[in-house]
Amino acid sequence: MTTTLSERPSSNHDDDVAEVHQRRIRPARVILFLIMAGVAVVMLYPFFYMIDNSLKTQAQYDGSRHGFSLSSWHLLFSSEPILRELLNSLIVSSGAVLCVVVVSTAAGFALAKIRFRFRTLVFLAIVSCMFVPLPSIIIPEFINVAKLGLLQTYWGAIIVYAALGLPFSIFLMTTYFRGIPDELIEAASVDGVPFTKMWWTLGIPLARPAIFTVAVLQFIQIWNDLLVGLLFLENTDDRTVTVGLALLSSGRVASVPVLMAGAVMSVIPPIVVYILFQKYLVRGITMGMGK
Amino acid sequence: MALIDVARRPSKRGPLGAGGAGWILSLPALLAVAGLLILPIGQAVYYSMTNWNGQTATWIGPRAYLNLFEDPTFLRVLENNGLLLLAMPFAIIVPLAIAFLLHEEIWGWKFFRSVVFIPTAISWVIIGLVAAQFYAVKGILNGMLASVGLGFIKTDMLGSTNQAIFAIAITLIWSQLGTNTIIFITGLAALDPTLAEAGRVDGASSFRIYRKIIIPQMMRFIQFAFVITVLTAFTAIFSLIFVMTGGGPNYGSTTLEFYVYQQAFNQGDFGTGALLGVLLFVLVATVSIIQIRLLRVKT
Repeated sequence: MTTTLSERPSSNHDDDVAEVHQRRIRPARVILFLIMAGVAVVMLYPFFYMIDNSLKTQAQYDGSRHGFSLSSWHLLFSSEPILRELLNSLIVSSGAVLCVVVVSTAAGFALAKIRFRFRTLVFLAIVSCMFVPLPSIIIPEFINVAKLGLLQTYWGAIIVYAALGLPFSIFLMTTYFRGIPDELIEAASVDGVPFTKMWWTLGIPLARPAIFTVAVLQFIQIWNDLLVGLLFLENTDDRTVTVGLALLSSGRVASVPVLMAGAVMSVIPPIVVYILFQKYLVRGITMGMGK
Repeated sequence: MALIDVARRPSKRGPLGAGGAGWILSLPALLAVAGLLILPIGQAVYYSMTNWNGQTATWIGPRAYLNLFEDPTFLRVLENNGLLLLAMPFAIIVPLAIAFLLHEEIWGWKFFRSVVFIPTAISWVIIGLVAAQFYAVKGILNGMLASVGLGFIKTDMLGSTNQAIFAIAITLIWSQLGTNTIIFITGLAALDPTLAEAGRVDGASSFRIYRKIIIPQMMRFIQFAFVITVLTAFTAIFSLIFVMTGGGPNYGSTTLEFYVYQQAFNQGDFGTGALLGVLLFVLVATVSIIQIRLLRVKT
């Protein structure tokens, strides 16, 4: 990086030091920039690869012909239920996100702002479930949902996704509500607003940033999930786009360009959410580090 | 933390009293978590000691756990989990270096930051689809080797029992770059800048400043990233394995997590599947508890 000499002030003239610092640092900065540009290429290449190959026919992909074509895109829409799958993904993801937001704001508000018996115990019981790995419970979950008759329905997948997202979301909401001054709630309480109503009229508007974080994290996670979708939404009509693509690829007869066109379609929604709400996503990931 | 003392003004509280309201508002969450997360864990523990095909279960008892360790496939699966750990140093050091570069605010750092974060929004299925093309016999990797005159090295990592797990591990490193870089950037932003400044004034080189001043302050974040990455590798890459190798060839890339699925949903042995799930839970809980303990000691 920078050399030792350029860093060592020979006198107390700050301006001189700064000048030396600047002049010496420039070649190093160029190298650092080039390294970072290389990293960027490695990170972006898969997206280029997807788009590039989706614009080829099978023959062009195999290399026997050159040029671009939209035929794989035509094939995707004519032979695969891609639009239906995208709709299913949208229904299941938004349904589960809505459930998580409603349930986690209510619980977060209560756990942070209302004193009731066993409150700490309830909080610990819920939050410690963050450590339950999905593969550990998937088998009993599958059997239970089957017994309830909810296999192959949106509701089965929605409640499972919602339950999986709840512990972390409630942790996040509770932490957020704890940061809101008690005076606000006390004032409403003096006015005679019941707590059950206060959650809705006061809690939700106050928690808007935390709600965005929870919604963005959960939406991306559920949209991208395979295991739950694979088991709970098996039918072609019900399955999500992620499941559809995974099954298409494991069929081994699929043409790679069609697969790539499908991949491009399926990454658009999470990428749009990511670009619009990057701030909230980053906050959600780093929230886990809070003490 | 000051809590609302409702008892002080009984006349003003809601119709159900604050205690009741607390329960009412937490109840949906509590029911969902109890019914859909805690109950299944209990069921998994019970069924792990049975011979269960999803319909009828016959009791085996704790002996079921011992039987498993005589299964050579299970030992191979455990080994694969261990081999994934070899990715950890790279999954930490590369993002740490990237975070340092971004923290130096090199030209275009905001753009680079967004680019590095992108995989956090992408499905493992999509990552796996492209990765499978990367490693394929006629794929990107062999194409790159050929273009630099190394065409005689024909790789087929996904087709090799011994190499497939490494192909998965390398892909894992790529996918975790974003998450871990976010963690480290947050860490760097939270550092006390006066210490590094003092080092600079004392004439320490940038390298020494990073090694002696910044890295020690970052240990908490490095540890957090390490645990998150281990948990991801052990419990969250089912889709990646499903798409890239299907666990093969010959269980060469099956991890504990994937073995749960194979036992239960391919072979119909729900009992063994549940048992593997319980082992995974114990493993994850142990890692998490150690992490919490270590953090508590440090802070």
